Amino acid sequence: MRAGLKKAGLPYLLLFPGLGWLLLFFALPLGFMLFESLKAGTPDSGFLFDWSVSNYSDAVSQFDEQFMRSFEFAGLATLISFVIGYPLAYVIAFRGGRWRNALLLAVIVPFFVTYLIRTLSWETILSDDGAVVSTLQTVGILGEEGRLLDTTASVVLGITYNFLPFMILPLYASLERIDPRLLEAGYDLYGRRRDVFMRVTLPLSMPGVVAGTLLTFIPAAGDFINAELLGTPRQSMIGNVIQSRYLEVGDYPTAAALSFILMGTMLAVVLVWARVAGTEALLGTEGEERRA
Amino acid sequence: MSDLERQFERIIRDEISRRRLLRRGAAGALSVSALSYLAACGSETGGSGDSKPESKVIEKGEIGDSIYVANWPLYIEEDRGTLKDFQKKYGAKVKYVEEVNDNTEFFGKVRQQYERGDSGGRDIHVVTDWMAGKMIRLGYVEKLDHSALPNVQANLIERLKSPPFDPKRDYSVPWQSGFAGIIYRKDKVKREPKSIDDLFDPAYKGKVTMLTEMRDTVGLVAASMGSDPETASTDDFMKAIDKIGEASDSGQIRGFTGNEYTKDITKGDSWVIIGWSGDAVQLEADNPNIKFVAPETGVHLWTDNMEVPVGAPEPYAAEKFMDFVYEPEVQADIAEYVNYICPVKGVKEILTKRDPALGENQLIFPDDRTLSDAFIFRQLKPEEDTQLTEAFQGVIGA
Repeated sequence: MRAGLKKAGLPYLLLFPGLGWLLLFFALPLGFMLFESLKAGTPDSGFLFDWSVSNYSDAVSQFDEQFMRSFEFAGLATLISFVIGYPLAYVIAFRGGRWRNALLLAVIVPFFVTYLIRTLSWETILSDDGAVVSTLQTVGILGEEGRLLDTTASVVLGITYNFLPFMILPLYASLERIDPRLLEAGYDLYGRRRDVFMRVTLPLSMPGVVAGTLLTFIPAAGDFINAELLGTPRQSMIGNVIQSRYLEVGDYPTAAALSFILMGTMLAVVLVWARVAGTEALLGTEGEERRA
Repeated sequence: MSDLERQFERIIRDEISRRRLLRRGAAGALSVSALSYLAACGSETGGSGDSKPESKVIEKGEIGDSIYVANWPLYIEEDRGTLKDFQKKYGAKVKYVEEVNDNTEFFGKVRQQYERGDSGGRDIHVVTDWMAGKMIRLGYVEKLDHSALPNVQANLIERLKSPPFDPKRDYSVPWQSGFAGIIYRKDKVKREPKSIDDLFDPAYKGKVTMLTEMRDTVGLVAASMGSDPETASTDDFMKAIDKIGEASDSGQIRGFTGNEYTKDITKGDSWVIIGWSGDAVQLEADNPNIKFVAPETGVHLWTDNMEVPVGAPEPYAAEKFMDFVYEPEVQADIAEYVNYICPVKGVKEILTKRDPALGENQLIFPDDRTLSDAFIFRQLKPEEDTQLTEAFQGVIGA
């Protein structure tokens, strides 16, 4: 009897650290922020709780441009990351051979340098008087007055560069797990390379695709450092607005409301994506299903 | 390779360049911002509280074991000899914390404490004019006893004796001042820029940057449009913001910066910009093609001010410290390192002996005419401040 009780309580006990962490560092701050987002007042006189739901509609109508831009840039960066990342992950997984670990390391190595320094390096590389711009000008791709830094292209490039490993690693993980015998079976059944890829490899790598796109898109949409360092006010994203509302204007309710809207939109994106790609892909449970 | 290394060194050094460290709120500021946000979160009553802290005149008394000074980064000589000398003279150790990276951010951090009349252990904080004024208005700082400040009385330069936010210097004493004006690349422009209008010259399209500090940028542009920022109306400032906004939308203005403009102009990404005089002194020393020029319509004279927050444990020692740094010999060490405008008379002579180039530098010891031509941005009412800050933030991309 006593042993039984103990057994029943143990899982909860083991859950406690994780749950406690979530509660303390996720749920509680979230609650704080929700509370903050419903306050009314001015930065000078302070803010009081007032159920002011209008903070949300005001935030959307005032900053719709930055919202749209964030999703546009993040979407573009995700797409480019996928186009670059899939072939790379594929090569590492299937053709990497004994170089596999070295290649993977090469993907991760940039992370040994901080995010900020990496982005600042791009600022130097793309500089108006830098080698890249002058080369492109000589070749005639970029006009005499053309520049790379502080343009939409540089911001999207920065985001792509910074989040590319988040795309490659999950893709690699799911590609690497594919049983080569399944591919062999495909060829044995007279599948052409393209058919085998479309019918076997790609579907089996879907969990990686879903995880990779989400891991890239979500932080990219909330990013503000790339727009800040590699862009101008004309490239400012929602992250920049939130940062400025918090730190410069001191308008906490609007900043909190914007954060919630961003979170809500992300949640919607995840749900829709999960619907499209199938929940089993998202959760990586295709194996279980097959067995069942 | 060595060239690349040098560039990297530059990047890193510029990023932590004098004052306004991480002004742009990148990485480092993230953690701070989270803290200040949480701090602000708890302040239910904000400034409308019933238990307003009470500001009173500081009384003379004993000096304790230590005082706590909150200042901006890189705002005192590297070996901090001044602090050791203070300890030698008064027996109090100076806990000197470089915790002010940004006025608004610092305000967010201390507001809740100050509201309760708790200084968080601080005896002195250093903030820019408008924030110093805000602290005074909210009753967050103690009133100074001028009889305890003989050196300040004697040595504070005339131009700074009566700023709009504290006309009799009852609450604040300047730490250092500076100009915001034009910095340009001599090798890139066709002629020396003379006024802010030159920043709107289409020939420099995409090569102009301005400061994210609203009073610097808006003040200079408003002055160039014929208004006097010491008395201008909100409408005048709004017109200046509109003009800046149009120039930003058209791509004339490349962007808005904190002190990382030093990097942009060094690389040649910007040619004609609004920047700070102290940086210009250093930039010019590194690259003779970079020059500071005071626009015809006046430079913006800003000051970072020492104040004693209410509830400071050692208010009298704090006054002694303020007075101590107004001894010309003491101040000379600070001015020699900081290179912004020195607010203390008598330092010029001492520094000229040590290093004539510094002592004769117009940006560190400007003449009376330059100082009287310079404007100090007027004190804004809270609602004006909110309106202008919001409009300006909108223009600079947020």
